[in-house]
Amino acid sequence: MSSYLLRRIGLALPTLFGVTVVIFLIIRLIPGDPARVIAGLQASDEEVRRIRTQLGLDEPLHVQYAVFLKQLLRGNLGTSAVTRAPVSEEIGARLEATAKLALCSMVVATVIGMGAGIISASRQYSVLDYTVMGVALFGVSIPVFWLGMMLMLLFSVNLHWLPAGGYGTPAHLILPTVALAAFSVAIIARLTRSSLLEVFGHDYVRTARAKGLQDRVVVLRHALKNALIPVLTVVGLQFGALLSGAVLTETTFAWPGMGRLLVNAIGARDYPVVQGIALVFAVIFTVVNLAVDLMYAYVDPRIHYS
Amino acid sequence: MVLALIAGLLWWQGPPVGAQAVPKQLRIAVGIDADTLEPVGQTTTTISNIIDYFFETLVDMDYSKNPPQIVPKLATRWEVSRDGLTYTFTLRPGVMFHDGTPVNAAAVKFTIERLLDPRVRNPNRHLFAAIKSVDAVSDQTVRLTLSQASPILLANLTTTTASIMSPAAVARAGDRLPVAPVGVGTGPYMFKEWRRGDSILVERNPSYWGKKPVFEEVLFRVVPEAGTRLAQLLAGDVHMAMLPPAPDVKELRKNPRVTVVEAATDRTVFIVLNTQYGPLKDVRVRQALNYAINKKAILASVLFDLGTVAVSPCPPMMFGGQPVQEGGWPYNPIKAKQLLAEAGYKDGFEINFFSPTGRYIQDFQFAQAISAQLRNVNVRANVSTMDWPSYVGMILTPPDRTRVQMIVLGWAWPVLDCDGAMYGQFHSTQWPPGGLAPANYKNDKVDDLLTRARSEVDQNKRKELYKDAQQAVWNDAPWIFLWTQKWYLATSKNLEGVKVTPIEKWDAINATWK
Repeated sequence: MSSYLLRRIGLALPTLFGVTVVIFLIIRLIPGDPARVIAGLQASDEEVRRIRTQLGLDEPLHVQYAVFLKQLLRGNLGTSAVTRAPVSEEIGARLEATAKLALCSMVVATVIGMGAGIISASRQYSVLDYTVMGVALFGVSIPVFWLGMMLMLLFSVNLHWLPAGGYGTPAHLILPTVALAAFSVAIIARLTRSSLLEVFGHDYVRTARAKGLQDRVVVLRHALKNALIPVLTVVGLQFGALLSGAVLTETTFAWPGMGRLLVNAIGARDYPVVQGIALVFAVIFTVVNLAVDLMYAYVDPRIHYS
Repeated sequence: MVLALIAGLLWWQGPPVGAQAVPKQLRIAVGIDADTLEPVGQTTTTISNIIDYFFETLVDMDYSKNPPQIVPKLATRWEVSRDGLTYTFTLRPGVMFHDGTPVNAAAVKFTIERLLDPRVRNPNRHLFAAIKSVDAVSDQTVRLTLSQASPILLANLTTTTASIMSPAAVARAGDRLPVAPVGVGTGPYMFKEWRRGDSILVERNPSYWGKKPVFEEVLFRVVPEAGTRLAQLLAGDVHMAMLPPAPDVKELRKNPRVTVVEAATDRTVFIVLNTQYGPLKDVRVRQALNYAINKKAILASVLFDLGTVAVSPCPPMMFGGQPVQEGGWPYNPIKAKQLLAEAGYKDGFEINFFSPTGRYIQDFQFAQAISAQLRNVNVRANVSTMDWPSYVGMILTPPDRTRVQMIVLGWAWPVLDCDGAMYGQFHSTQWPPGGLAPANYKNDKVDDLLTRARSEVDQNKRKELYKDAQQAVWNDAPWIFLWTQKWYLATSKNLEGVKVTPIEKWDAINATWK
């Protein structure tokens, strides 16, 4: 197992390196001059040139990349071109907010989603089943910013139960979580249902029922574990995506997360921040994927790594 | 769809909010997060507005007077030599920086020299370029020596960039200055904390030299979405929201629990016509395009009355601004078609048309309205958009390679002077890529007028020069002249005394609570 882990981590390194190269190139291909964006419309041409030199942007590309790589190998993600604070500080300031929202949404989505999927599969073709799947269809289709605004309208403006966006107390976490989880709940519910239904068709399930075991025991003890593999994959992917920030939710609810940071940095052509965040996301995805792969082995004993 | 849901929001109110005690913390929802919190390096009006709470300048602009007047702030008196090359300021005695050090001539010298220091990032350096040297004549007297007369220097010194900073606090902050300018300013509030992406907190300065503000703390909340800012105001989470969604302003004006504060500003919005491109080379075509647009209709139905029709290339509220055509360029589509036919375009022409999205009030929306009106005179313009940095990149392409034919643009200046409004847009040295005048307009007479007005010390002569320049530019029509925007915000009814200035800033430091 540990050699498997080491091998996976070893394979991750060239991937991360590749990510840095791709992001480095792509952000420089987009039209727009960072120095001019920072200086604003009314600054003189001379001032813009000065800023460009200060940012190191008039060096040839390979020199710029070498500077970036050298810093990176020393553990330095660079300095924001806009605020001139370390990129790690910019990311660090948003990490807590992003982590809270991602974790909360994922827990809610997984618990409710799997619960709904299990109930649906156990009572296939019943009214409950159709209702749950209908609601899931809405969850997948409703745009998150619209749902967010509607939630704020009802719970903040009309009922005054919850704050209208912002960050700080647990109460602030409720509406963004609901808005963000809606999509994941729907997907997880549908996937759990279909996966369980597929497992229900297998011989060992029929055997378990024939043994006279209670329905609940059949489903939860015997069928669920085997149905979980595709669901786990989706949960892993969703979690990775959420940890990268959910920019629409963050914008609607004024949530100070990493999604907004990335989008703003691209809009401001803040190359170091974009590069830094892209790298952090790549690391997060790698770790999450590794965790999911390890969970496979736990859930399905037929899978083992050597 | 967004309109429908916001309409629903306004129609569906919660229980009425009763009279409340004066809140300890005033909360203001703003639309963007800061890029830097120190005065030198400011490029966004909103952030300058925020740091105005804890920074102050030598002199201030009083917008309640018409024309606006320069009034004392950290300087109580000033004298300008007859040749306009020497300015002597007497400082207000007994004022301290937030770090406890005194405001003296040495601090002012430090501040101004730092403004000019090429190692310090200062996009507004050109406002102070005329300053040659600064001397501390005595502990409370500072002398500025200029390399050439600059009639707008005093006004430029009222901008946030020129705020006086404590040398000791700047040294202590080091490279944390842009993110944590602790103790650097002199204002009625002191900088407390910046939570990145979330909020900026300031607290009242107990030893402020001037009038004590009502609220102990002010929290600026970063809320990028206009609809959310409005929701927060209506839910009572904030007391003031800048720029709520434009389509909601009509309803908000009638809402008994909300006050809408709006005022005309110097931000002119217009359509640049690349005078070096095809049909636009002919002045008759450009004039025809001006005749083809019904500005009043667009202002009423697309901008919800959040603008005033342009009557001159330089808004009359600026020094030197004078209306060239009362009521704006007349709407006359028949005349437009006539002029186009005269110029040889009886069947019109195709042209590309770019607009930003979300940069100016209803920009993409009014561009589409304009495109429709142009079709009435056979000019076929299809609106495209792109993100702002790409847009700026497009504007800055040199004339021989540019894609610019017709583009939406807005122009404002932190100081109400026609030099700011006109030089950067109409002087032939300002063509891209060196400048931001994508009309590529060249008129030697206008060039001469604008250059002379820059250093003319006699106020009346300056006004004459600008009068002629505005007349010439208007007739040459390098733009489709549209309107000047209003700047607006919404506050809780209990908050009184909030004003909006013509330079797109709110003034609420001395607001009170009823």
